Amino acid sequence: MATDELRYGDVNRWVLQTLKPPGRTYWLWVGFLAAVVAIGITTWTYQIYAGLGVTGLRQPNMWAIYITNFVFWVGIAHSGTLISAILLLFRTRWRTPVYRAAETMTGFAVLTAGLFPLIHLGRSWFFYWLMPYPNERWLQPNFRSPLVWDAFAVSTYLIVSWVFLLMGLIPDVAAARDAATGWRQTFYRLLSLGWQGSDDQWRHFSAAYLLLAGLATPLVISVHSVVSWDFAMTQLPGWHSTIFAPYFVAGAIFSGCALVLTLLIPLRRLMGLEEAITPWHLDNLSKVILFMSLVVTYSYVTEAFIAWYSANPFEQMAFHMRYWGPYGPLFWLMVFCNCVVPLVLFSPRVRRSMSGLFILSIFINIGMWTERFVIIAGSLATNFMPSQWAFYKPTWVEITITVASFAWFLMWFTLFAKFLPIVSMTEVKEGIAWQKQALAQ
Amino acid sequence: MAETGTGAVTPGDGMSETLLFTGLFSDEETCTRGIVAVRAAGLRKPRVFSPFASERILEALDAAHSPVRRWVLFGAIAGCASGFALTIGLSADYPHVTAGMPIVSIPPFVVIAFELTILFGALSGVAGFLVHGRFPRLEPVPGYQLDFSNDRFGVVIECAASERGRVEILLLAAGATGVTVLGANLPRGEDQGEG
Repeated sequence: MATDELRYGDVNRWVLQTLKPPGRTYWLWVGFLAAVVAIGITTWTYQIYAGLGVTGLRQPNMWAIYITNFVFWVGIAHSGTLISAILLLFRTRWRTPVYRAAETMTGFAVLTAGLFPLIHLGRSWFFYWLMPYPNERWLQPNFRSPLVWDAFAVSTYLIVSWVFLLMGLIPDVAAARDAATGWRQTFYRLLSLGWQGSDDQWRHFSAAYLLLAGLATPLVISVHSVVSWDFAMTQLPGWHSTIFAPYFVAGAIFSGCALVLTLLIPLRRLMGLEEAITPWHLDNLSKVILFMSLVVTYSYVTEAFIAWYSANPFEQMAFHMRYWGPYGPLFWLMVFCNCVVPLVLFSPRVRRSMSGLFILSIFINIGMWTERFVIIAGSLATNFMPSQWAFYKPTWVEITITVASFAWFLMWFTLFAKFLPIVSMTEVKEGIAWQKQALAQ
Repeated sequence: MAETGTGAVTPGDGMSETLLFTGLFSDEETCTRGIVAVRAAGLRKPRVFSPFASERILEALDAAHSPVRRWVLFGAIAGCASGFALTIGLSADYPHVTAGMPIVSIPPFVVIAFELTILFGALSGVAGFLVHGRFPRLEPVPGYQLDFSNDRFGVVIECAASERGRVEILLLAAGATGVTVLGANLPRGEDQGEG
């Protein structure tokens, strides 16, 4: 983006044209996604009616595809906070046109993640038992349990990520309000809370936004650490490991950045945002992905080393089964997708090829979902007692609900992208001013 | 091309009447220059509109740090205290031993306290922003123009009608692309004195 030639008005023009009334193809796509979601809801209703017996959950595999989806979607959420909050604190300029999409992805990914513990519960309406509340039996949750930590961590993350997203939207929605007419103007007026960009408003906004970023940064690290402790706090071979927290956080950032690419590449094309989101921005994002891929690869090697060096036969057997057991092909698929394929990003040409990046991001998405599955279902399948070993296979119910969760996520993201500014106009303008100042100096 | 006096000046404005002058600027640098010129001329502290957050503008205005910081701090402290109070209090209230751990086990409670620290800090920061920014605003801030959310910066000065010529020259000399004038109806203290 040659910002020295850009004007502030160009930014509004780029972004506000994405908010024009959508065409027929858009509504057909949304309708298709809504239909898949409806099938998913119907299937969940059937599961509630018939009980968890319609799933593949059997001893010893009582955590499987639903928990895999939960961990996958929580992980996806993390990169949004990384790009919006952590890179904001570091004043990284390339984040400005891409962070809103990443943040939106975060909001809907946490929303999707939050559904899976409810679906997995079977009797979903008892979810509130994880939270303390006054009750006639004087029972309280066990605050020493990682599952209760998880309920607090994910709820906090859901609230804070949405607050962060909605607050950042206020100045941009005000710009949309000033250009809109009719019901859209009323909608944007309500959302913008009467924002007018006075120095006093900016002063309080900047302070609050920066501090929110400062709070979101440790939060994002804590949330996926807590998610990893759901596993690491148990004695199960394959789960009971001290590297799980950083390993999960690295995997989360890796998978999330890949999904940002999956979403941004078609988005910039379909919404005419090529001038705002340029190959330079995606190049930088690819470098983050490459780095995280190396960290994830290092974690896989460390995990194997710990199992070998511990001389613990149970741990060694768990890893032997992970590599060579029934889920072995999935393990090697995950290694191929997460460790081998991303190495092509060392090539600057690939980092600037839109089709290349899109295909790569799909590989990483598949690889990271598979990683969660291998860790969760694979470890449970081969516990301490070989006589208990059993291998999980998902049923159509679980597969349908999983597919529907992707449609659910994409449906909300698609609706958001067409009705609210998917690129932060104010921060892109701030970047232009910064570059003008840098050039002047 | 500079345009002056394009606003709705009430006919027959007396010289003692207070007017609202808005200097329109096309970039951050000239806007900052305008603010500095207005302040050096001893006029009342201007209100500035900008399409993005500008540290340079806030510095030129000599704006104080936002009190939102304190909201976040106190919210975070309250969250931390609530987290420990909740976990310790309810565990003592329902003393159920699990895995031989003490009833009051501080290390696991730190997780809950940490999450509530973040949650309360974030929510109180937003509350502070809404309170100090006076949101939601039902009426537009005097002097606001639609271009301020697009590509224009505005320096709004309230002063006596007798100062009109001087203020216009001052703003145009600083690089304003135009000056609009309105009959002022600015509530005292709003958006002005707090900084």
